[in-house]
Amino acid sequence: MTTEVLETAIGEEEFFAERKEVLQTWPTGAEVDLDEAIAYQKSIAPSRRFSEALRKASADRRVLVQPRAGVALVDEHIALLQKLQDDADLLPTTIDAYTRVNQYEEAQKGLERSREAGRSLLNGFPAVNHGVSGCRRVVESIKKPLQVRHGTPDARLLAEVTLAAGFTSFEGGGISYNIPYAKKVPLELSVHTWQYVDRLVGYYEAKGVRINREPFGPLTGSLVPPCISNAVAIIEGLLALEQGVHCLTLGYGQLGNLIQDVAAMQALRELAQEIFQENGFNDYALTTVLHQWMGGFPEEESKAFAVITWGGALAALSKATKVIVKTPHEASGIPTAEANLMGIRATKQIVSMLSDQEFTDDARLQEEVALIKEETRTIVDCVIELGEGNLAQGVVRAFQSGILDVPFAPSIYNSGKIMPVRDNEGAVRILDWAKVPVSDRVKAYHLKLIEKRAAAENRKPSYHMLIDDIYAVSKGRLVGRPR
Amino acid sequence: MADEKKETIVLGVVGADCHAVGNKILERVFDEQGFKVVNLGVMVSQDEFIDAAIETNAQAILVSSLYGQGELDCEGLRERCIERGLEDIILYVGGNLVIGKADHAETERKFKAMGYDRVFHPDCDLIEAAQSLHNDIRERFGAGNEK
Repeated sequence: MTTEVLETAIGEEEFFAERKEVLQTWPTGAEVDLDEAIAYQKSIAPSRRFSEALRKASADRRVLVQPRAGVALVDEHIALLQKLQDDADLLPTTIDAYTRVNQYEEAQKGLERSREAGRSLLNGFPAVNHGVSGCRRVVESIKKPLQVRHGTPDARLLAEVTLAAGFTSFEGGGISYNIPYAKKVPLELSVHTWQYVDRLVGYYEAKGVRINREPFGPLTGSLVPPCISNAVAIIEGLLALEQGVHCLTLGYGQLGNLIQDVAAMQALRELAQEIFQENGFNDYALTTVLHQWMGGFPEEESKAFAVITWGGALAALSKATKVIVKTPHEASGIPTAEANLMGIRATKQIVSMLSDQEFTDDARLQEEVALIKEETRTIVDCVIELGEGNLAQGVVRAFQSGILDVPFAPSIYNSGKIMPVRDNEGAVRILDWAKVPVSDRVKAYHLKLIEKRAAAENRKPSYHMLIDDIYAVSKGRLVGRPR
Repeated sequence: MADEKKETIVLGVVGADCHAVGNKILERVFDEQGFKVVNLGVMVSQDEFIDAAIETNAQAILVSSLYGQGELDCEGLRERCIERGLEDIILYVGGNLVIGKADHAETERKFKAMGYDRVFHPDCDLIEAAQSLHNDIRERFGAGNEK
């Protein structure tokens, strides 16, 4: 396939030509029949559709709760989701790491070894290997709306198989599922493959089937400042709208300082609307998702619950449409169904306790909203300008020049020079902006706040502060104070 | 200490795993603790670890795995090292090595049986790990750590 072409909306003929190639990349692609898939999707009751659940929750100002979950085998995966479905409002199918890098043969081996071992050796559900028929067994066994959650730079076949099987939401994006998840996948390629996914979703939409799309908000989940994650979310939203997507959920990963986090969610919602409409998009449904703390967790379960409920509180106070929950097993990897349930229940308790409270009138909050919007606006405008009429091209150029820069990302196409640290109250600020284009006034403001912490700790701002911040939550603090 | 006198270690995250945060921190810490660190980053195959160890004449390979599929990815590395002439190389492994919450002693036994010299918990003290690596290298390759 070509990697230079970054068109705005993919033409139908071109889309179908590429589709033919995509469906040949693994035998289960042959099972995908788009007309039959559309008819099948139309038979799915509204109560099992993501778009409907989100629309209702948004109208009722209610926060929906969704876990992560996925194991190798179909029956075990069904059993796992069935254990969660009475408590969770929305359900996932988390995809294994081999499928995420399109290594379907490795996934097949892992699947067979899991069958022999009687336990999952894969860290998720290999949906492509199970094919439309295997995935439909899952869809037909579950009463809640189902979403595909993964981390796949080239998810074209995965989208084809799972959407044909009746999943009603698909997570990811050309930036958010490449830069934090891959080492050397060129952005030209991932932006294109995600334009394809969005085009496929746009095709379903045009035929009367609404599929929800959710760019992955938290990126590397490690001290990503709100302006960076919000800029990427809004850009991926625009890229999806260009391909005919109409149902978008934009995400943000909790950082830990309440004022900054509530402000980031408000800024995301407001600025997305402004920028979408400025670019000529008016007909779409926009909702938000809050990810509970994505960094390192404390080992002890009682302490993990404190982190989980702090995220739940934020989801309620920031009026997120849904929250993605962590579990008390987070520090040690993939949770049992029971641990997953405990995370869901703890979250539901706090979300429902706080459902009647709002947190908007604070002057410091509104100051923070204005700051985040200003920073994000500068970055997004710069990317749009770089694209010279082609946003996808703008994204590629922005990463090349370091205008978009994600901390701690594994990709060689990310400059990785931006350096965040927490300020004295735990909000994430930027010590070194590298090439990210914000005003000198904004830079000076961040520096002033960081210097306040440095003075309190009697040390100079540096990478050591950042390392301490990375481990702080798992060791019982938010700010990584010197030991 | 001159760079060529430093003990050389190869560092990376094995398999299809893209967890980059700890990897970047390990690089810093082991560098500060006096090692020459050859960091292969994330998503490293067994052969890439071995190629790098041969090219740089390394005394140890440090394998990380955070995503749960470590059991599949780490198996056979010792045998492959032996096949390619690295009989004595020190192999460390650390992270969330198996799916789910597991007893560390059991995980340690499993990975030691695969030929890893030391098995680390995700919460381990990195300075202590670096100290034990200095000791292990001295013990296996002598004080001047000549190979």
